[in-house]
Amino acid sequence: MKKVLSLVLALALVLGCMSFASADDAKIKLVVWSFTNELQGMIEKYYLPDHPELDIEFQIYPTDGNAYTTKVDNLLGSAADSEEAPDIFTLEAAFVKHYVESDWTGDLKTIGFTDEELATAFPVMAQIGQNSAGVQKGLSWQSTPGALMYRASLAEKYLGVTTPEEFQEKVKDWDTFLETAEELKEKSEGACKMVTGSGDIWNAYQYQRSQPWVVDGKLVVDDELLDFEELCKTLEQDDLTQKGAAWTETWFAGMQGVNETLCYLLPTWGLHYTLKPNCAPGASGDLSEEELKKVSDENNGTYGDWRMVEGPTAYSWGGTWMGINAAKAAVADDAKKAAMHDLIYFFSLNEDWLLTYAHDSGDFVGSATAVEKYLAEGDHPNPFLGGQDHYAIFAKAAALANGSLMSEYDDTINSLFNDYVTTPYTKGEKDLDTCLAEFKAAVAAQITTITVE
Amino acid sequence: MQNVQTKTVRKKSISYSRYGYFFIAPFFITFLIFQLYPIFFTFRTSLTDAVGWEKVLNNSIIGFENFRQLFDPSSLVYSKFWGALGNTVIIWFFNFVPQLGMALILASWFTDSRIHLKAQGFFKVTIFMPNIITAATIGMLFMSLFSFPVAPINTFMQTSGMANMPTEFFRSVAWSRGLISFIQWWMWTGNTMIVMIAGISGINPSLFEAALVDGCTSRQIFWKITLPLIKPILIYNLTTSLVGGLTMFDIPHMMTQGNPNETTNTVARFIYMQGFTGSRNFNMASAASVVLFGIIIIGSLLIRYLLNDREPKQAKGGK
Repeated sequence: MKKVLSLVLALALVLGCMSFASADDAKIKLVVWSFTNELQGMIEKYYLPDHPELDIEFQIYPTDGNAYTTKVDNLLGSAADSEEAPDIFTLEAAFVKHYVESDWTGDLKTIGFTDEELATAFPVMAQIGQNSAGVQKGLSWQSTPGALMYRASLAEKYLGVTTPEEFQEKVKDWDTFLETAEELKEKSEGACKMVTGSGDIWNAYQYQRSQPWVVDGKLVVDDELLDFEELCKTLEQDDLTQKGAAWTETWFAGMQGVNETLCYLLPTWGLHYTLKPNCAPGASGDLSEEELKKVSDENNGTYGDWRMVEGPTAYSWGGTWMGINAAKAAVADDAKKAAMHDLIYFFSLNEDWLLTYAHDSGDFVGSATAVEKYLAEGDHPNPFLGGQDHYAIFAKAAALANGSLMSEYDDTINSLFNDYVTTPYTKGEKDLDTCLAEFKAAVAAQITTITVE
Repeated sequence: MQNVQTKTVRKKSISYSRYGYFFIAPFFITFLIFQLYPIFFTFRTSLTDAVGWEKVLNNSIIGFENFRQLFDPSSLVYSKFWGALGNTVIIWFFNFVPQLGMALILASWFTDSRIHLKAQGFFKVTIFMPNIITAATIGMLFMSLFSFPVAPINTFMQTSGMANMPTEFFRSVAWSRGLISFIQWWMWTGNTMIVMIAGISGINPSLFEAALVDGCTSRQIFWKITLPLIKPILIYNLTTSLVGGLTMFDIPHMMTQGNPNETTNTVARFIYMQGFTGSRNFNMASAASVVLFGIIIIGSLLIRYLLNDREPKQAKGGK
């Protein structure tokens, strides 16, 4: 009797589940993968309330120790069209090129994007989201142009510069940048340095190149990079830097005003999440705007002392793209394709939302037209920059930076270039030819799929 | 007949012996999935053209090409692999020799009934402590302690008048390798010491008593009694340390990233760089792992061969 009863109950349970499942069938299920909860937060706050038909499953894997890429590679390599595989997944600057060059990411046009829609994205972000054949595979809600931040008080004290326009003249190109560094050394008698270390300018300088690291499957060392080495060596040997590396004690000390460092080359996120929370000893990202100012005033910090100019090169640093899984997009029905299109469009190109988001978060958004609208509203003074509007300056860099300079193996090649060329050469340990030969051998050993001459 | 008997026995009483297998099953299942299978997979991958994730499961066997490159002086990976092996051995040697010496001295002090150290527990815990901290954390700690130009060590050296200029420790080969060896030594001495103490405590105390009665000095007891009798423990220590030392990865990876000029690049780091950066040469990484596997086996056998003396049977028989 008991057995019969339990059987009936079990059956009822199974049937119950099935009927729930069938009720859910009307919903469109999307699997979204990311490496932070940023996109999930945005979707839940701004998108889901108006789209009850969507059933979104989020998966978050950290990028630490390549956990995210390993997970993506494993699943897309073995079962790309399975239930658990992502429909939409986010891609970070470090590996976005690798995925858009692969067949795993789908052409956004296959889910209904049109050329007119795509044209409103900032060119630099759109270019990085394209493969070498120009197929658009990734779009971003943000744009991460870079600029040059400098300390107004030091610029005035040593260089007599009072406005950002004047300062931009002092750093308009890399030769002038070096001249200013020499002038600074002379007038401050070595007390104030131009930058923390030669490595600080790499992220900007790489946009000075005319071609990416890999062209047609061959390693290319652009001539500009040789100039970069000479610039770094002069900076280092003439004692024009603090001789520290980025993200070290020395680097943060300059932001806090503990040592006198005039310039930092940082992108949008660097201004908000790196420079600002480190503007004084004792400051942190948890403090509100007023508290930061207070801590900075009490500890001789640098809050309000920073100004921003475009600097020598328009560049971009970082970013997150949304891409689609080609295998699942290929078998999706029209309703699902439309849902995917609508979601990606909403977060990357929908002007109204991007404008709202720009106001809510202060983030620099990915659509050029949304940024134009934002700027048209008038000035948005930023007290951290002494009332300057950071949006206006980032907008210039975002419009000019050349995203076609990024290539698939940049991450590996950049770090090899730093270890085998920039560091030993600028420290005077080896001559440039030896460095370059060792660099090429290292690239060839590590990346067997490209030709190195 | 026998069958019938067991059947009846089973019905009456439950045989518990098979539960033993249930208890050890989880280990063997995990072992098969996460160790044995990956080992065979690595062997197989080392014979393929698996470059990039796309080819991990979908590759073709190309024979011993990867091994040829590892052993061919004209290939690109040759100098990197063997250079890394050289670095690893140097770093291991300067960590292991002081470690073994220090652990032996400490262990013999702690177990010496004549010294009879007070607060032994405290000292043992203190010496063992560094072993508890994650290696990666220690790597980061030392990196920030010794970084350049402003960091605790440099500041200390300048304020105390030991130096006028900050030193760039991680551009010096001796400092970089020395620091890695030092960290390894500092982390593992406590562990080796505990194992040694256990080994020495296992020696029959009447041997020490007899030696004391016969008027042996502490030094004589150590060389003539303790050391010969803990030889199995020494072999164990040497072997595990060899395995750990040759697969050293975290400290060099966190602290120096193989710099300066690849002089702190270890074999495990070479494998990592091949397999998980650039074009992801899983085939070459696997081949290097297989070669490392072979080197470790040869090394372990060599240790056994060198430390097992020729006439051990007699000595053991006497016990």
